Amino acid sequence: MNEIAQKILTDAVTTLLGEDSVHWTKDLKNNSYGWVKLCEHGALELLAPRLAAARARLLTITAYRTDKYARVEGREIAYHFDLDGVVLTVSVCVDEDPPRVPSISRWFRNADWNEREFMELYGIIVENHPNPRRLFIDKDLDSGQLDKLIPLSTMMNGASTKTLWEKVFSGMDMPKWAKEAK
Amino acid sequence: MSSTYTLPVGPLHVALEEPMYFDVKVEGETVRAVELAAGHVHRGMEALAMNRNWFQNITLTERVCSLCSNSHPATYCMALENLAGIVVPERAQYLRVIADEVKRIASHLFNVGIMAHLVGFDSLFMHAMEIREIMQDVKEGVYGNRMNLGALTIGGCRYDIDEESKGFMLDQLNKLKPLVAELHNVYDTDPLIKTRTQGIGVLPLDKAIEYEVVGPVARASGVNYDVRRKVPYAVYPELDFEVQTDTAGDVHSRAMLRIREAVESVSILEQCLERMPEGPNQLPGFVPIPKGEAIARSEAPRGEVFYYVRSDGTDMPQRLKWRVPTYMNWEALQVMMAGCQVADIPLIVNSIDPCISCTER
Repeated sequence: MNEIAQKILTDAVTTLLGEDSVHWTKDLKNNSYGWVKLCEHGALELLAPRLAAARARLLTITAYRTDKYARVEGREIAYHFDLDGVVLTVSVCVDEDPPRVPSISRWFRNADWNEREFMELYGIIVENHPNPRRLFIDKDLDSGQLDKLIPLSTMMNGASTKTLWEKVFSGMDMPKWAKEAK
Repeated sequence: MSSTYTLPVGPLHVALEEPMYFDVKVEGETVRAVELAAGHVHRGMEALAMNRNWFQNITLTERVCSLCSNSHPATYCMALENLAGIVVPERAQYLRVIADEVKRIASHLFNVGIMAHLVGFDSLFMHAMEIREIMQDVKEGVYGNRMNLGALTIGGCRYDIDEESKGFMLDQLNKLKPLVAELHNVYDTDPLIKTRTQGIGVLPLDKAIEYEVVGPVARASGVNYDVRRKVPYAVYPELDFEVQTDTAGDVHSRAMLRIREAVESVSILEQCLERMPEGPNQLPGFVPIPKGEAIARSEAPRGEVFYYVRSDGTDMPQRLKWRVPTYMNWEALQVMMAGCQVADIPLIVNSIDPCISCTER
């Protein structure tokens, strides 16, 4: 069963991108993992309907910086598909500025949430998304929160507590004893 | 007078254990459309994971979810083991399966118990929770904790089962078996349960495939996909168990399927305790994690958990992404709730066994 699924996925990729465009690895239990790198512009919109026609299932989508600390520009988005237990990961280069990719929710319905999530976390524009609302992050916050370098020490040093209370107190009349307190 | 109006359910609501907001369009008592708004418990855990080293992330991923808390570090460790080519000692693989199945039984019994509560059958709810308590005692006795087991480490397990704990576990399982069989019978025959849950929240097979649902929700609609069989891991290939499926795809069939899976899990536990070989439960030292990327999957109580790890050769992940089962199941509520009665909303939501802290991370 596994070999058939692997062959179907291989055919879907290689008829579009040529031989050797996918390489396969196996884990110790003999499960197969396929890896494809996609840097040609517009190739994702050609590959997605082929994978959908092969009845692959979208597992999830991972967006990431090619360099974690953004010392080098560039992002990638890894689309993980499954066909009967075989996983195919298609890593798409996102080099434009501002970063943008086409939506694949036309072919994979569950891409909806995944695309909305990386829109808000990585500030990547998804073209033709049917429902580009915020998914988790409040609309008042900037998008691309996960795309910014925020050192853990800043994230967790408790500075927000003081800032918050200063804001609260600035908007109200303080009692006399509180003003005098050191 | 307009015939439809909008009914807000949540984010804080008596029938929901965690915050989620449903915008329900109703016509009289009948639901016409559902919109979801999430994000009330978003914790930014994927950002935290990128700021922690490989070991610290075992502890972090265990805190993604409480009911499938063991599946997360287990799948995370499997992804790292795939990346670094680590061979886990056989005894540790058995120990991992044992921890996973103990959690599965407790999680499934919790879900069907809550269902009885939502039906209004509170004595059955308490009875189901009392049966679940047998597994909670196993967790507390063997692992020292009632929810987060702390069982996993990279390349093995942090706990072991000696003769005394083995005997204790087998005793508890023997106590559990007749009670679960009795519970199955009650859920299968009780007229109150059947009236409230049969034919409610139906998800047909074609919609289950279209919405790509996973876990018991998918299997109750006829999708025969269990990661333990499709993508073998740990010692599942050597164990004898049947993947449970159904075709009804309603609230009742999902609950019955969970009880049947709990019965299978008891059998898996017995097989593991009997066959587990002697040997080390973890590797003697730490194996460095090389540069690269890897994937691992496992079957959590709610369905397929997916982990993707990307390493740039340092001691922290360049990116760690996980997708939880509930993430895939939310949108299918739109199908399940279409045309249902307002009073059935909590029952249908509960039937996907939702985990919101999981979904939002």
